[in-house]
Amino acid sequence: MRKHRLASRTIATATVLTALFAAAGCAPGPSGTESASAPTSVSTDVANAGQVTLKLSDFWGGSEGEWIKSMITAFEKQYPNVTIERTQEDWGQLTSTLNLQLSDADGPDLATANNGWQSLGTLAKGNLVLNLDEYSKAYGWDSLIPSTIARQNEFTTDFKTIGSGSLFATPVARVSLIGIYYNVDKLTQLGIAPPTTLAEFEAAAQKAKDAGEIPIAYGSQDSPTAVLLGLQALYASADTINNFTYGDSSVTAAQAGLNEAAQTVKKWNDAGWFTPHHEGINYQDAVANFLDGKGVFRFEYTGSLGLTDKQQGTFKYIQLPQVTGTGTVGVGAAPAAMVIASKCKHPDVAAAFLNFLMSKDAAQASADNGLIPLLHDDVTIADSMATLKTEAAGAAQISASNGFVPYFDWTSPTMLDTLNQQMQMLYAGKTTPDELVAAVDKDRTTFLEQSK
Amino acid sequence: MSHLIARATLPGGGASQARRRANHNPRRRNRRIGLAFVAVPLVFYAVVVLVPLAQSFQYSFYNWDGVSRATWVGLGNYIQFFTDPVLQSTLSHVLVLIFFFSLLPIVLGLLSTALITRRRLAGMAGYRFVYFLPQVLTSVVVALVFKRIYSPDGALNALLRSVGLDALTRSWLGDFTWALPALGLIGTWATFGFCMVLFISGVSSIPTELYEAARVDGAGPVREFFAVTLPGLRPQIAVALTLTVTGALRTFDLVWVTTGGGPGTATLTPAVALYRAAFVNPQVGKAAAIGIVMALLCLVIALAIGRVAERD
Repeated sequence: MRKHRLASRTIATATVLTALFAAAGCAPGPSGTESASAPTSVSTDVANAGQVTLKLSDFWGGSEGEWIKSMITAFEKQYPNVTIERTQEDWGQLTSTLNLQLSDADGPDLATANNGWQSLGTLAKGNLVLNLDEYSKAYGWDSLIPSTIARQNEFTTDFKTIGSGSLFATPVARVSLIGIYYNVDKLTQLGIAPPTTLAEFEAAAQKAKDAGEIPIAYGSQDSPTAVLLGLQALYASADTINNFTYGDSSVTAAQAGLNEAAQTVKKWNDAGWFTPHHEGINYQDAVANFLDGKGVFRFEYTGSLGLTDKQQGTFKYIQLPQVTGTGTVGVGAAPAAMVIASKCKHPDVAAAFLNFLMSKDAAQASADNGLIPLLHDDVTIADSMATLKTEAAGAAQISASNGFVPYFDWTSPTMLDTLNQQMQMLYAGKTTPDELVAAVDKDRTTFLEQSK
Repeated sequence: MSHLIARATLPGGGASQARRRANHNPRRRNRRIGLAFVAVPLVFYAVVVLVPLAQSFQYSFYNWDGVSRATWVGLGNYIQFFTDPVLQSTLSHVLVLIFFFSLLPIVLGLLSTALITRRRLAGMAGYRFVYFLPQVLTSVVVALVFKRIYSPDGALNALLRSVGLDALTRSWLGDFTWALPALGLIGTWATFGFCMVLFISGVSSIPTELYEAARVDGAGPVREFFAVTLPGLRPQIAVALTLTVTGALRTFDLVWVTTGGGPGTATLTPAVALYRAAFVNPQVGKAAAIGIVMALLCLVIALAIGRVAERD
């Protein structure tokens, strides 16, 4: 009995001690004032920087990996005094550990971050990445990058606002978009010309339905949002959607075109234009169905179909213009936000590399690897890359209207969950477009209040 | 130098003192040796379990994104857990899962045990193996297999169509009404065999004299079950209840792989909500609060079941 008491006393003491130990430390996270670090004097001279080795961590595999490898080789060839050591990591792995890696003395000098508050915002706020304003001036990035793309990497230095202020990351000369893919053979068989407006698209879908085809290959079990966000961009101006996403509380989700988009999606669902039983079809199966010819159209993120060289040209891409007016607004962002670590010892060389990733050479290398180029118009795309040509045309169309809008889930950390849930409820008749819009507004308001 | 020597001699002196004292009180000495043996694992346990537990407890009072400075919110995270309609619904989902993961397998396990142990059957080991198989499979594999079975073109719908029940076919995991029961039945399938094997081994430890006595007294199979088998299996039932109920409370992999909590939030469990808060959306404080509440619930349930099982 006494033994028991002693043992339990020991354990109790240990517990109390550990609890005290933990509670005695103050609030979690770093203490002290937060101020963004920015280099004071910058130089664009790389050749005379001496022997420099930079560490790069990125999440690019496949053809994206080939692209960055070719970029590193070309940069090292241009500047023999520079060596770039690349580490490739899985996307989830890198985005979830980047804050720790960047605070490590042996961590990367350059890295790919995810945009939005969760990733880039947190890194900038934690003073882990450099403010790039001086480099932007030195290299003239402000005239190179469309403002709707630049905004995706901007934060005010009090870190209360995203989408304006200082530049904390750069895009690269590549972009990924949301738009519509179509099955070329099916469309030819149905005798339909590729639609160029939403009205034409709806007429084409109806015709496909009448002919017994599945108009839109779709699965809403785990990733239903591409169609909603693709449509949203047709209904509101780029500024409105951008401002909504970046937390301007004077803009509501309804003004940002979400209500019309939800109504249209609901209408299409009720008309039976989506794959039957889409509520039980997951994302991968939906993509596979479309590639198998079960469906004429599909709303999709570019680069997600995983087309082989052989499949190039069997599926093509459409970027629809706005429903009213003339311009084209589309969801599009660089595939990563390139950051320079605050502790990087050669920020000038690192910035030169970022500049190189936005160069015409980078855009050309992108097209050569089957990826959509951005920032430069005079890129040649091989005729064999028939799908890429239509995708690049879409990007050029948005670029011409300066109509890029960011991924809607950058609005708040929980926005993607909210949209997924609301869309599934919409299809099951458990919510209305109005309620969906209200839920989105509420999600954002909660986040904005929390982050004050 | 002399200082060092003095120090170096100290342990020896201490040891001899202890030895002398130990001669008077051997129990005390045993206790010390015991503690010395336990010290290393205890430190290890403190570092890997108690410290994180205390940290989680601390985090649960803050609003924290995991990187920048946290702000104190007091009981805010806990209040949110019990007032937020979505988080509240996760608790009712857990109740449904407890029925499917725990009560149903135990009832089925008892029933099959009663049937199997009545008579020696040829190939018993084979049956046991087949029913126990799900327990050996990795839960992710089980989840992926059932995802296929429940899909719109899956085996279940094919079966229904083949017998003319087309009206009943649906996307089982995409249906607001059916997704949770469909998930629950996966759990029933997975834990039923475990309960049965546990109960069969329990029955073998019930003295056969009791059965003989019951039969002499004229008890039928039903009476025999309630009078002898069921009371005899009390400890096994307690073990099965504890494991399956806490398993239901912790349900994560099955939901994450099959529905991710959807459609809507129809299959969201506290563990999935916790994972999202901790790793998908940076709300570490909220995640910690969910974790603490879940840990307490598991503890209370385990204690309660233990109490009931021991009472005679």
